[in-house]
Amino acid sequence: MDIELDDAELVRQIGCGIDREAEAEFFRRIAPRIRLYGLRHLRDAHAADDLTQQVLITTLEALRAGRLREPEKLTSFVLGTCRMTVLDLRRNAQRKQRLLEQFGADLMPPVQPSLPGLDHEKLRHCVQSLKERERAVVVMTFYHEQTGADLASFLSVSEANVRVLRHRAIHQLRRCMGVDA
Amino acid sequence: MKCLNPIDAAVLADYWLAALTDSEEEGVELHLLDCDRCGERLREVIALAEGIRKLAREGSLRMVVSESFLKRIAEEGLHIREYTLPAGGSVQCTVTAEDDFLVGRLAANLTEAKRVDLCLCDEHGIEQLRLADIPVQSGAGNVFYQESITFAKAIPTSKMVARLITFDEAGGERQLGEYLFNHTRSMPGPGVWQPM
Repeated sequence: MDIELDDAELVRQIGCGIDREAEAEFFRRIAPRIRLYGLRHLRDAHAADDLTQQVLITTLEALRAGRLREPEKLTSFVLGTCRMTVLDLRRNAQRKQRLLEQFGADLMPPVQPSLPGLDHEKLRHCVQSLKERERAVVVMTFYHEQTGADLASFLSVSEANVRVLRHRAIHQLRRCMGVDA
Repeated sequence: MKCLNPIDAAVLADYWLAALTDSEEEGVELHLLDCDRCGERLREVIALAEGIRKLAREGSLRMVVSESFLKRIAEEGLHIREYTLPAGGSVQCTVTAEDDFLVGRLAANLTEAKRVDLCLCDEHGIEQLRLADIPVQSGAGNVFYQESITFAKAIPTSKMVARLITFDEAGGERQLGEYLFNHTRSMPGPGVWQPM
């Protein structure tokens, strides 16, 4: 398989008939991207894996059947499929939640997503070296996953200013941690 | 892996926090479904977010926090040891192995204060550390100072003075309140002062 093929060319090859190599390459490329979408919207590694599998199957079926007439629109097609599948998974999750409440939630231990490792002590040092308001914003933002009015009120600034403080802090933390800001 | 139009890490953080508009979010998602370099940067941002969240839950940061943050911590089942002091007040305090967070609620009239610093001093009143321009909620009568629980569990019996300072228009300092913490060690450990 020529790994220089772009996504659209891979789509064309898959649409021309069963090409296992093209399909494998397509999976390798697109699966991690779908999984990130899943982590963002489902906040759960298992659910993100389920989403990835379902979106890949749906997309592959469409590609094999030649239903994607404009291969350049692959990302739009995948995004649309992701959105629909997330809705389905949320409905299933609600059913699952009812069952867990009925039979016990300890049946499913949480799984951490595969993310880059961090030097925890270095991060502590970097967070502690932020200015007070920037530290307050990033700590409370990422602890609460809260971005808006509460933080603005706590800091007596506008929500736009909270965003500026958050951006500045993230850039500084990334520099301090030794990654590109 | 080359990206001609990379998405800034801070924007990716906004995406992770669901803080973008619908159209901004759609633009980011279309890009991420096409770009592994930015996907890698998003993974770094998520790891950073998770790391900060873990740090926040450890209670080991020295910082000013909000009441809603403490409420959320308590809802998680973590134990907060809180001491409330009026301006000019003092308190006998300690920390035990069961405590997850240590907080001083410092009462002061903050109505007119535009900038407030929190100074941490030794028992002689000599400043050891200053938290400059701390977050202060308009109209609030308290500052919630979170001391590092790791530090508090390690220090020997000692005294600490905290001062809230504001500034007049000429830049001169004005004290809003002074607070004396008489800390008694209740956990085993070294008998010398080891500032962090």
